[in-house]
This record gives sequence, structure tokens and C-alpha cells, in this order.
Amino acid sequence: MPEVREASAARTAGSVVVHVFVVLLAVAFLFPFFWMLSNAVRSNSEVLAVPPRLLPSEWQWNNFIDALSFLPFGRFFLNSIAVSLAITLITLIVSSLAGYAFARIRFPGRDSLFLLYLSTLMVPQAVIVIPLFLLMSRLGWVNTYQGLILPVAFGSFGTFLMRQFFLTIPRELEEAALIDGCTRLRAFWSIFLPLATPALGLLSLFTFTGQWNSFLWPLIVVNGTDHSTIPLGLTAFQGQNGTQWNYIMAGAAISMLPGLALTILLQKYIFKGIAISSGFGGR
Amino acid sequence: MTSPPSITGAVSRRRGGRLWYDSLSALGFLAPGLIGLLLFLVLPLIASLVLSFTNWKIMGKTSFIGLGNFSQALTVDPVFWQVLFNTILFTIEYLVLNIIISVGLALALASLRWGKQFFRLVFFLPTFAPLVGSSVVWLLIFTPGGFLDWVMAALHIPLPNLITDPSWAMQCVVIVSLWAGFGYNLLLFGAALESIPQQYLDAASIDGATGWQRFWRIKLPLISPSLFFGIVLTAITSLQVFDQVYALTRGGPGAATQTLGYKIYRDGFISYNFGYASSIAWILFVVIMVLTAVQLGLQRKWVHYDA
Amino acid sequence: MHISKMGVGAAVRVSVVAASLLAGASWIGQAVADPVTLTWGMWVGSDAEKAAWQHVADMVTAKYPDIKIELQTASWPDYWTKLPTLVASNQLPDIVSLQSLRTPGFASVMTPLDDMAKRDNFDVGAFDKSIIGGLSSDGHLLALPYDFGPLLVYYNADMFKKDNVPVPKEGWTEDDFKKAAKTLTHDQQYGFGIGGVDQVISWISSAGATYLKDGNLDITNDKFAAAFQDYVDLVGKDKVAPLQAASGGAQLGDMARGSFAAGNIAMVIDGPWQLINLKSSVKFTIGLAPVPAGAAGSITVTAGSGFGISQTSQHKEEAWKALQILTGPDAEQYLASQGRAFAARIADQQYWYKAAAVGVDNAEAGMNAALKGTVPYITTPNWNTVNNLFEQYEPLALSGKQTGAEVLATINKLSAQ
Repeated sequence: MPEVREASAARTAGSVVVHVFVVLLAVAFLFPFFWMLSNAVRSNSEVLAVPPRLLPSEWQWNNFIDALSFLPFGRFFLNSIAVSLAITLITLIVSSLAGYAFARIRFPGRDSLFLLYLSTLMVPQAVIVIPLFLLMSRLGWVNTYQGLILPVAFGSFGTFLMRQFFLTIPRELEEAALIDGCTRLRAFWSIFLPLATPALGLLSLFTFTGQWNSFLWPLIVVNGTDHSTIPLGLTAFQGQNGTQWNYIMAGAAISMLPGLALTILLQKYIFKGIAISSGFGGR
Repeated sequence: MTSPPSITGAVSRRRGGRLWYDSLSALGFLAPGLIGLLLFLVLPLIASLVLSFTNWKIMGKTSFIGLGNFSQALTVDPVFWQVLFNTILFTIEYLVLNIIISVGLALALASLRWGKQFFRLVFFLPTFAPLVGSSVVWLLIFTPGGFLDWVMAALHIPLPNLITDPSWAMQCVVIVSLWAGFGYNLLLFGAALESIPQQYLDAASIDGATGWQRFWRIKLPLISPSLFFGIVLTAITSLQVFDQVYALTRGGPGAATQTLGYKIYRDGFISYNFGYASSIAWILFVVIMVLTAVQLGLQRKWVHYDA
Repeated sequence: MHISKMGVGAAVRVSVVAASLLAGASWIGQAVADPVTLTWGMWVGSDAEKAAWQHVADMVTAKYPDIKIELQTASWPDYWTKLPTLVASNQLPDIVSLQSLRTPGFASVMTPLDDMAKRDNFDVGAFDKSIIGGLSSDGHLLALPYDFGPLLVYYNADMFKKDNVPVPKEGWTEDDFKKAAKTLTHDQQYGFGIGGVDQVISWISSAGATYLKDGNLDITNDKFAAAFQDYVDLVGKDKVAPLQAASGGAQLGDMARGSFAAGNIAMVIDGPWQLINLKSSVKFTIGLAPVPAGAAGSITVTAGSGFGISQTSQHKEEAWKALQILTGPDAEQYLASQGRAFAARIADQQYWYKAAAVGVDNAEAGMNAALKGTVPYITTPNWNTVNNLFEQYEPLALSGKQTGAEVLATINKLSAQ
């Protein structure tokens, strides 16, 4: 009896230690965000002051608004949203269709085709940006929305994820439907998709945040501020006449909001989705 | 599973026609994705291979030079081997630290009684900020005379300024990458840990297993598939590291933080040496393939499927 | 039927009249001209800058109603990444903005302007000679300049007053400079801020060294190496300049300028184009002075920017007309009064003094002194690479990890690739 009490006391103490540790780590971890905000609301000349000031001498809250008018940051924001959403939508549709085919349909060459899909995951973006850009100019898609959206919406990560997920759905469900005369498409639409919401939610989050932060491709395909996205916009604050550090910080802070909102919205799905579609989570 | 005789006939009749039907419907399902994949990935990939055999510099004469770029990279280019070394060193260090931190923190968070979701969100926050933006914040922290120097001076730590020292600059890139990146794996491993049936762990504790033993003998094997998934993907992305290097150090000082990903950009878009840059890109691709193949091969040794 | 009634003669008369009418109509058509939209690529760092360029573009349309200009902008660092991709995809705008340093690199895709200038009796002499040289390559003028400026010393007048140091002025030597910097370096402040290749070239030129031989980069010669070591020693040995990170989108000079603006550094070397932005963000009085005189005197380089016509443009004549307006006296006066440009047109430089230089100590004296010792900043076609290599490797010499000569050897080897 006393051992149990001792054990549970030790466990509580251990748990407190872990709590404290995690809290301390989180505080240290959050420091760069504090630094981001603190630098966002000070004057540009104070940013590089030595010794560094933890808090600005004068609080320039209007920097958030000034950053928006110094460059058309509002435009960048909208572009990022439109582009990321479009890519996410296309990815969801294309990946779930393909993922289902790989998971559930037996057809000749399936495994080798899937291997091709997997190997494209390993292609560094840097390898294809130059030829892709030449393709864009042939198609007349340079500095257009389709040029920003289409070339990057067909990556195979989504297919991989959805396939893993669909593999976990019991065969009986679909066999029954097919015997009843259902077409594959119908089975897909009414059985698989509804069940796939966790994986879809996860894929949406990963795709959206990935595209939101994408820098290299937009840098190359965009020409001017009309189609610029946020990461491009941030570097635009580094002009020929010096760097507006405070505006970069303000812009970076603002740019975190949509991803944050999306995660809070999709919380439920994210967790379930990861466990099941990483394929192997502790099953 | 045996089916009643009356259905068997129908099923086997279906099977022959089924193959046709399946192949056609598979085509239908795959078509949109496959077209996009071929057009925007495979085609440019092949084109870049062709480019890598030329000395295309955009302006001026272009000609086929066969393996000239590759031999230049491997034998003539003064920085190539250092850059390759940097890339592999970064990947290994980042991968190991990332996995240790995310697994460790996932374990710590799993044992928390409250605030689990909250902390997961906190550690996931950096993924919402564009890496370019995060790197600038860290630049302001690392810059000589900046916050880190101030803290180290206050604590009397005798380290040089990290970002301007060629021996330490890469660590800055690692730190920023870790801060911005381990949130993903944290979620992944956290989910994997949560799906371990509690009975296994309880049974082990009753049998007298210590926490450490519970981890090594039960948790680790059971999450090994997720671990494998996370390691492979993390390795692939970290071999390509570019955004942080671009925004934090531009490959400097010297070539201390120059990675293959950055070198491709630099040779292509700063020196306008696109043929050569394509060859470097292909070398990177080969490195990624080799490393992934090795990992796939090793998978049998340590990854446990089917609990 | 009609023709046979009218008779062949009548038909011929009608057709002759009709033909001449048509010919006349098309001639009139050409004189009035179909409306042409020219694309103009330019870098901008803010909405205010974009508005200024739009204003200038509108001046073209005001003079030639059938020429419209469409601005295609990119941020300063991105502009140079994009330009080669535009070349590669045949998408160069009609009017291409060029900086003098990068002109040789893009010479092959620009249309030489000499013939058009001669044909139209365009007075190229109204522009400062050094920037005309800077925007030429192989003897051909490739762009008309809108601004230029010598690199000169910006100093914090308040800091000099506080430490009782005589302000820099014409004729001051490198010894004066080092002495002043030493006195001004104490506590957390420094006397000087190090820059990248532009400031290096200025420094070594004052020391009497050269960096080109037969148009090729030659930075490993003894004189250059010695002068370069002298420069980097300001950080490593004399410790009058702080070691700063060249990173992010910021170049070496950018960080120094940032610290200068923050009041931590007393002197930096930069061009007049920085003045208007610096002035608005600092809380002290800025002063201007020529670079300190080395063994060969106070020599500095000038850089500037201008506009040219791409080889692939379908509207070269209209573009030429537009160029003349964009760099014409009215545009120059506007830009100079905005403080955006130290006008390349000599006659319009006064407007810059009246605008950007107000409240700046010794602006006119400093600029005039600097202008006396300018040499055109001649660059090699791979200057973009050379610039980048200095950014990467100079810090190794600054921190003392390598000698100046070693760094120069590395840069030399890598730039030859």
C-alpha cells in the first residue's frame, strides 16, 4: 500500500516537473514572436540599436497600417489567400481521386505508377523551376494567377496521404456497394469521401500552410506587385534604399493570422487525420 | 470467406469484365492528377536534365557540353564539395535533433493532464509564418550586437557571435530550421503515441517495467511506422534547404552555410549559369534518391508494421 | 455593268483617286499612329516610389497621346533575379531599367542608342559624362541616365560635435579619417560602418590601385590586396567599425546604414540616392563629405541608373521617344525635387540640393568635392556574381579569419567560373 502511495506521489511530482519544463520551453520558444511584435511597433532606426531594446521607446502601433500602405500589402494578403485556397482545393480533389484509385482499384501497372508518384516527392523544387518557367512563358502564364496556381497543385504528397488513409477503410463497405450495382464513382462519392474528412482536413492544413509560405516559385513566376504573394511582399520591404525591418516584422505578424485561424477551425480533423493517414500510427 | 453458391457464379462472371471496368475507371480517377503531374513535374524534370548537359547562360552562345557541367562540379568547382558536405551535415544534424526533440516533447505533452492541445498549437505556430519572415526575426536576434550577443554577454558565455563565424554560422541555420520545423513531427508523433492502446502500457507497468523500458520496448516500436514516415519526409525536405539560407546568411560567411539548394539558386539566378545550376540540381536529386533508398532498405530492420 | 456604262477612263480616274485617298489616309494614319502601349520594367521599394514613376510615365503620354506606358515593377533584389528569366522567355519589357554596375552583363539584349541619338541630334552632353560612360558598353550607349551619384561620406554631425571631432571636409586624408573614427569609437558606438564591393572599389581607387586589367577582373594584384587589407583592418585591427552580418536581403552596406540611422555609427559611405530615406528616419543632423584621400587622392566611383530599349522590343521608335521624356528636363526636375534622383542632367542637379539636401550639413560642398574626384565605375559582365562573392567572402576578412589576400584569391577563382 505505501508503495502505491509513494509511486503515485512520485508520479505527481514527475508530472509537475514535466509541466514546468514544458511551460518554460514554450516561453523560450515564443520569444521570437515577442521579438517580432516588439520590433514591429518601433521605428525602423531603433531596430538595429545597440544594445538591443526589449521594448520600443515609442510605440508605433500604426506600423501595422503603414506597412499595408507602404506596399500594397493588402493586395499581397488577398493574393496569398486566393492562391493558397485554389491550390488546396485542386489538391484535395485530385489527390482524393488518385488516392482512391491507388488504394482500391486493381489495375495493371498500379504499383509501378505509384512508385513514380513516390519518386516525384524527391524532386527538389530547384530542379524544375527553370524549365517550368520556360513552360509558363510558352503558355503565356508568366505573372498570372494560373501560373501561380496550376504548376504547384499537382504534387504527389496529397495522393500518398489519401491512399494511406483509404487503405484503412474496410473493404466490405465498398464491396457491398459494388455488388449492389454502384459505380466506382458513386462509391467514392457517397462512401469514401465522407469518411475521409479527417484526412482531407489534414491535407488542407498542410497544403494551405505550405503554399502560404511558398517563396521560390512565386519569386520566379511573378513580375510586379499585382500578383505578389506575402513572402514576396516581405522581401519587397528590402529596397534599394534600405530595409524597412519594422514593416517586415509587422507584415510577418499579419501573415500568420490565416494559418492560425485555419488550424483552430480544423483542430478536430487534424489529429484524427494524422494518426490514420500517416498510415501506421500505432495500429 | 465463402460466398453462397448462387452468388459465386455472378461474382466470377463479373471478374472478367471487372478488369476492364477497373482499368477504365482507374484511368478516370487518375487522369486529372496524372496530366498535371506529367505536365508540371515530369516534363520539366526531363527538360532540366537536358539543360544540365548544356552551358546555357541565357545571354550568349549555348552549346551541348555533355557531362561537362558534372565534371566541373565534381573536379573544378572550388566550393562544390564543401557545399555537398554542408548539405549532408545540416541534414543529419537537423534530422537527429528534430526527431529527438519532437519525440521527446511528444512524450512530455502526452503525459500532461491539461493544456495538451494548447501546447501543441504553441509549438506549431512557426509553421504559419513564412520562413522568410521567421528568418528575418532570427537574423535580428543573431546579428552582432543583437539580442543573443547581449544575453551571452550578460551570462558571461564566451562564445563568438554565431552568425558571422564560419564555424558557428551553420548552427544558426539549424536553430532556425528546428524552431520553424519540428511542430509538424510533434503533431505526427503525438498522434501516433495517442493511438497506442493504454492496456499495453498498463500491463507493462504492472509487470514492473520502468518508464524508460515502456518507451523503448512498447512505445517506440509501436510508433516506428510514423517515425519512419516522419524521418523520410524530413530528410527529403532538409536536403533541399533554401529559404532559411537565403534569408539568414545568403550562404555566408564564405561558403560556410551554402547548401546545394542555395547553390542552385545562386549559380542560376545570380551568376545566370542555368546549365550548370541544372546539373547541380540533378546531383541533389540523386543524393535525395540514394538517401531515401537507403532508408527504405533499412526500414525492415527497425520498423514494425502490424501491432 | 456600272464600269461598262461609265467607261474605262472614268473607272481609271475613280480608282486613281481612290488609291491616292487610301494612300493619303494611311499616311495620315501613321502620323496619328495606332496607340502603342510600351512596357517598362522598373524596381520600386514602396508605393510612393511607384507613384513617382507613374507620374513620369504620364509625362510621356501627355506629350505623345498615342504612347501609353505600362509599369512592370519588382522589388530591388527581385528585379535582378527576374531580369534573366525575362530574357530567357523573350519577355523583356520594351523599356528596361538598368543600373550602371549591371549594364555590361545585359549589354547583349539592349539596343544601342547612339544612332538614334545622332539622327535626332539628341544632346548626350547634357548628362554627366561619368554616368553616360557607366551606362555604355563596348563604346555603345545602352541607356539614358536619370540619376547618378558619387559614393561619399555620410556623417552624424551630432556625434562629431559631442566628441569634439572636426567634421570631414574637402582635402581630409585617410589619416584624418582614421583618427576621427578612433575618437568616435567608444562604449557602444563606432566611428565607421563597413560596406561591400562598391565601397571597397572606392577605397582602393583612392589608394591608387586598380581592379581591372584589359576589361577583366584583376583583384589579386599587390596594390589592391594592400589597400583591401587596409580597409578590412578597420574592423579587425583598428576596430573602428563593427563586424556586421551580411545576410537576409540586406547587403553589407545596408546593415551599416541601419546602424548609422540608429545612431550607433558615426560615418558610412553611400550614394546620394539614400539621402531622402535616411533623412526621414533619423533624429540627428546628417552631413556629407568626400571620401578621405588616399595615396592617389580622394577618388570615388559613381553609379547611377537609366532606361534602355530591349533588343526584342517591337516599338523601338516609340520607346526612344519615351526615353527622351523619361530622362528629359521636366522629368529630371520632378524627380530631383522629390529628392529621388540626383539628376544625371547637369542643369537639373540644383533641384536635388533644394529638396533632398535641405537640412543637411555641407551638402553642396561635400557633393562638389566628391564630384571632383569621380571615376566611372566600370564593371565586368559578371559583376552580379562578383558583388555576391564579396558579400559572401568579405566577412571572412573582416573577422580576421582569413587575410584580405586569401579572400581576394577565393573571389577571383570563383568569379572565373
